[in-house]
Amino acid sequence: MKLQLKGVTKRFGTFTANDRIDLTVQPGEIHALLGENGAGKSTLMNTIYGLYSPEEGEILLDDKLVTFNGPGDAVEAGIGMVHQHFMLIPVFSVTESVMLGYEPTRKAGIIDFAEARRRVQEISARFGFDVDPDAMIEDLPVGAQQRVEIIKALSRDAKVLILDEPTAVLTPQETDELITIMRQLRESGTSIVFITHKLREVRAIADKITVIRRGKIVGQALPESTETELASLMVGREVNLTTQKEPAEPGDIGFSVKDLTVLSGAGKVVLDNVNLDIARGEILCVAGVDGNGQTELAEAIVGLRSAVAGTITLDGTNLRRMNVKERLNSGIGFVPEDRSTDGVIPGFTVTENFVLDQYDQQPYSNGVAMKPSVMREAAVQQISRFDVRLGTVDDPISTLSGGNQQKVVLAREMSRDIRFFLASQPTRGLDVGSIEFVHRTIIEERDKGTPCLIVSTELDEVSNLADRIAVMYRGVVVGVVPGDTDRDVLGLMMAGVPVEEAYAQAKDHHTILGEADEEAQT
Amino acid sequence: MRSFTPKALFSLAAVGVLALSACGEAPEEEPEEDDAAAEENGEAQADDNSDFTACLVSDAGGWDDQSFNESAFTGLQNAIEDFGIESATAESSSDSDFGPNVDAMVQQGCDLTFGVGFLLEDAIDEAAQENPDLSFGIIDSTLPSEPDNGKPLVFNTSEAAYLAGYVAASMSETDTVATFGGIQIPSVTVFMDGFADGVDRFNEDNDADVSLLGWDKEAQDGSFSGDFDDQSAGRALTEQFLAQDADIIMPVAGPVGLGAAGAIEDDGDAKLIWVDTDGYESTDYGDIILTSVLKQIAQAVYDTVEEGAAGEFTAEPYVGDLENEGVGLAPFHDFEDEVPDEVKDKIEELTAEIISGETVVESENAPQ
Amino acid sequence: MSTEKKNNDDAPAAPGGALKEAESRLHYAVRELSQSSWVITLLSVVVALVVGALLILATNPQVQATTGYFFAQPGDFFLTSFEVIRDAYSALFRGAVYDWQAATPDRAIRPITETLVNAVPLILAGLGIAIGFRSGMLNIGGQGQIILGATCAAFIGYAFNLPVGAHLLLALVGGALGGAIWGGIAGVLKAKTGANEVIVTIMLNNIALYLLAWLLRQQWFVQTGSNQPIAAPVEDSARLFGLLGTGFRLHAGILLAIAATVFVWWLLERSTLGFEFRAIGENPDAARTAGINVPKATALVLIIGGGLCGLGGAAHLLGTEYRLGAGIAGTLGFDAITVALLGRSKPLGTFLAGVLFGGLRAGGVLMQAQTGTPIDIVLVLQSVIVLLIAAPPLVRAIFFLPNPDGTAKSPRRRRLKDQQAAEAAQEPAPTQEVTK
Repeated sequence: MKLQLKGVTKRFGTFTANDRIDLTVQPGEIHALLGENGAGKSTLMNTIYGLYSPEEGEILLDDKLVTFNGPGDAVEAGIGMVHQHFMLIPVFSVTESVMLGYEPTRKAGIIDFAEARRRVQEISARFGFDVDPDAMIEDLPVGAQQRVEIIKALSRDAKVLILDEPTAVLTPQETDELITIMRQLRESGTSIVFITHKLREVRAIADKITVIRRGKIVGQALPESTETELASLMVGREVNLTTQKEPAEPGDIGFSVKDLTVLSGAGKVVLDNVNLDIARGEILCVAGVDGNGQTELAEAIVGLRSAVAGTITLDGTNLRRMNVKERLNSGIGFVPEDRSTDGVIPGFTVTENFVLDQYDQQPYSNGVAMKPSVMREAAVQQISRFDVRLGTVDDPISTLSGGNQQKVVLAREMSRDIRFFLASQPTRGLDVGSIEFVHRTIIEERDKGTPCLIVSTELDEVSNLADRIAVMYRGVVVGVVPGDTDRDVLGLMMAGVPVEEAYAQAKDHHTILGEADEEAQT
Repeated sequence: MRSFTPKALFSLAAVGVLALSACGEAPEEEPEEDDAAAEENGEAQADDNSDFTACLVSDAGGWDDQSFNESAFTGLQNAIEDFGIESATAESSSDSDFGPNVDAMVQQGCDLTFGVGFLLEDAIDEAAQENPDLSFGIIDSTLPSEPDNGKPLVFNTSEAAYLAGYVAASMSETDTVATFGGIQIPSVTVFMDGFADGVDRFNEDNDADVSLLGWDKEAQDGSFSGDFDDQSAGRALTEQFLAQDADIIMPVAGPVGLGAAGAIEDDGDAKLIWVDTDGYESTDYGDIILTSVLKQIAQAVYDTVEEGAAGEFTAEPYVGDLENEGVGLAPFHDFEDEVPDEVKDKIEELTAEIISGETVVESENAPQ
Repeated sequence: MSTEKKNNDDAPAAPGGALKEAESRLHYAVRELSQSSWVITLLSVVVALVVGALLILATNPQVQATTGYFFAQPGDFFLTSFEVIRDAYSALFRGAVYDWQAATPDRAIRPITETLVNAVPLILAGLGIAIGFRSGMLNIGGQGQIILGATCAAFIGYAFNLPVGAHLLLALVGGALGGAIWGGIAGVLKAKTGANEVIVTIMLNNIALYLLAWLLRQQWFVQTGSNQPIAAPVEDSARLFGLLGTGFRLHAGILLAIAATVFVWWLLERSTLGFEFRAIGENPDAARTAGINVPKATALVLIIGGGLCGLGGAAHLLGTEYRLGAGIAGTLGFDAITVALLGRSKPLGTFLAGVLFGGLRAGGVLMQAQTGTPIDIVLVLQSVIVLLIAAPPLVRAIFFLPNPDGTAKSPRRRRLKDQQAAEAAQEPAPTQEVTK
């Protein structure tokens, strides 16, 4: 089916999220929509899916004008969407999930369960999905859950399939399977709109690439374009994708974690005997699919979670019995994973956020009364050093963009006298420019001789920063490998495959993306 | 929001008001003088005492409390009608309003100001001392400094409650009667003391064993609903008493008694004794009210205003008792035929005994 | 694009989910309230006066009489209405600010002093509540804390015999301590067990009320030798001294209220403790991450807030009432919540709101005495003011003010709004998430 947008405009108040978008997706085409966070990709797709109604412009399917008053209309017209966050109910079976909302019924409104089950089997056989129609959603790995979402769309005869950041939660191997599925769908004539901000994937999969920036289409590109070209188009200026860094000069061990075991509130083991050593002047990245204990590791180190066993040693001092404040004061710089929840206080001014974990220390206070002028001066000074774009430091931090908020957090943590730097997802949700800056800052910190521990689920970030990589799977460190380890190996380790085996398997089975990488290098 | 502008709202309301009532005719004759004169027009037959102002300050119960505030208010209204005096009233919404309200009355030029309830005794006492040329009254309490211009209006309700206790004991088929109060304060427990003594007197005279639930006079301890508002608490207490076989119940708790009445009506067999006013007339539960213990606050206020308007105000405490009929037992109304004549005779006998001083109803809660 | 925090297994279908949600919505509402603009507050007062005027008209017998023949002589209706409202509101003003009809100059300026007298406990308790609001805690327990404060102050005031200065000081400190303990119970329970402070403080109100009722029946406590449930008057040495001599009730409590206002401002805006309070109020997660001891700060908020409420009760008793009765707190505890809301939980705002409510109360007395307008109108005025502040869109619609989402507003607001829109644009429609 051919999908065509003409001059589609969507505004929120005075903010124009989509500005006169023209887009054509041919039948049997994988069309990538590339753009930074907040560029307007998701808004555009939600408009196509009928969740938003555009202020201006037309949507045409096979040259016929359509208007949608809700997702129901869009589904009816043959549009399917797989959201970034799956819309599945954990305690439903695959069949139940697929038929939810569009239950095939026999006479008298009785649900035709057998028919639904048959359809699931049929679709999954046609595309080689390998999904058990009777499995419970909560028992399925993320990749399989995504396939259920795709089956759900296909079972409603979707001719245009929208995939919103489908690889964000997948390991490289799972991504690989997704790519295979997408190609099969294309063969069968389904048009696919594929939303992403990851350049490698776009080049490997897409037939056509449309780049969107600040709500506007800024250009079309072919998969043959280089990543740098695409990135420049996406950001609107020249960018360096890989941060230049000198090889690490690791000193002696500055920070180490021994036999660290942490239980969840429900008593489940979320960190199982974790051992890590980080040398001064070295960045250790913790890679892994989201939810495998990395968050808990960071929280346990900084004291937000208590460990049931093990030691956390910084410069020879065991921190395990200390509270958060004592740990921060003994020299941990911490950038939390969820900036808006844990990192900043939105209603506080930039200055107040800048002193958030030092408000009761010299020189900002005498322990009882604070010294606003000293605080302000320090904030102004440090914040200019970190290139934060703001009106004044007296504005609430919520008036700043995400990238600038993160820079304030970095400025706060790095302007202290720290002896260990810990950051969790330091660039999540940031624009390319800010990512560049954050990475450079972290490397500078390393070069000052600080041991750095970076938790990240983005392999791009991991490869960019890491001197060594620890891969976590279900609360266990699967292995620690050098920073330049092949992504296919990392991907296998992220799925729990032990180091040696991962190397062996990766040699035999290259992923599509991996091959693309190799081609690009040669 | 736009479709619901205030203008629209206002015109809607205006139309409603007009449609309902606006088609009347203008009065033939416009009053020539101010409003005060207009009011007096219709009361030409009343004595003209418009240079005398009587005023009333309520406690937090307000004028519609179906209890002593309301009674005092009624007394004042009657006095206005009959004597043609001026008046002002103020309701207190909390205890801290007492002082300012009494002060406002003084500033209004009230010649005689009543405070209703013991809670106002400080405010009235103070105002009386500061304004020796004005007169004051306090209902249900005395004034600590006993000023020459302050009149306590108190009621020895234990005497009337004594009669009620005797009637209740003699009419009980289960040999169990009950009482409860709103809050444990003297003006409440004085009823309960009298009631208890009345029950005892019946037992003594007739060698009977009628038991009383809800009050132990010796220990000064019993059942209280906790306030003068919560009818459901009155209902719950009453249901407890009914479950313990009580068949005549006297709540001393103002409107809370209505909850008791509801429970008794549902029960079907039990009876109620009302207090303060004649419940047969003031409530909807006439058919279950055996009798009422009357506390003639309205009359006392009326009499005091009359004295004041005539320039005969004295600080002599007014103590309502059986003798001056400031307290008393209401008629039996629907139960007139059911109450045996010997009980009626006995009540008259007891009344005479109390008046003569032969029988003394003792209560540590009675006005001193 | 935030990903769910991956500690789902920590809270498997939390049983208190619905309650938690209701709680957070309450907090949100309070925060909204505290961020409404001054213009809205002022306009709300104006609208409330108009609504009050309509109610006065509706209940006034003279006006009712003229509506009966509205079509015959409409002039009557309007003239009478005008006079009734003029009389009522001028009485309100004369009772609250300056009485130009008074007999003596002293009486003429007395109303404003009465306003301040009424304002003292409202300001002190309002500040206590405001500290809670700023720290994300809905302290509904002002009533109980005031009762405890008044009770302790009163007992110290009449049961002890001490030199002049020390007696007053001890009574005030005792009052503050009583409130602090009462608030502290809720604070410690919330800090240690996560108990919902709204529920705990409401229950503590009832406990305080019945505790006082019980105490007032104990002879060792009331020390009066009478059965009336009212305690002995406090000694002169423990009374807050008058500031203006006889004929005025204005007492040193107003100085206390001013001092407390300055103190609370300093506490919230300048002290490290206040920084912690505000931090846990705005975002407890970030506060915890920054090393703030959230349970300790939580307990301290309610202890200090309770202490201020207790001080309010003490000042009320030692300054105006002198005798402790069951109704000592009246509706102060609940009015204090309204005052804190109206004052947008800011110290100066709370002070001004306390004076406004004190004035309404003082003026209401004269309005009732002179024009027979029911005192309840004052309650309606107070309630309508708060109601309208809670519904800014309504006020904007009434006065045709632009919506802050619209164009005609300060640049900062627009920037804020744009960012919110941008976030909305990023975020897909509300999504359910699946845990694995």
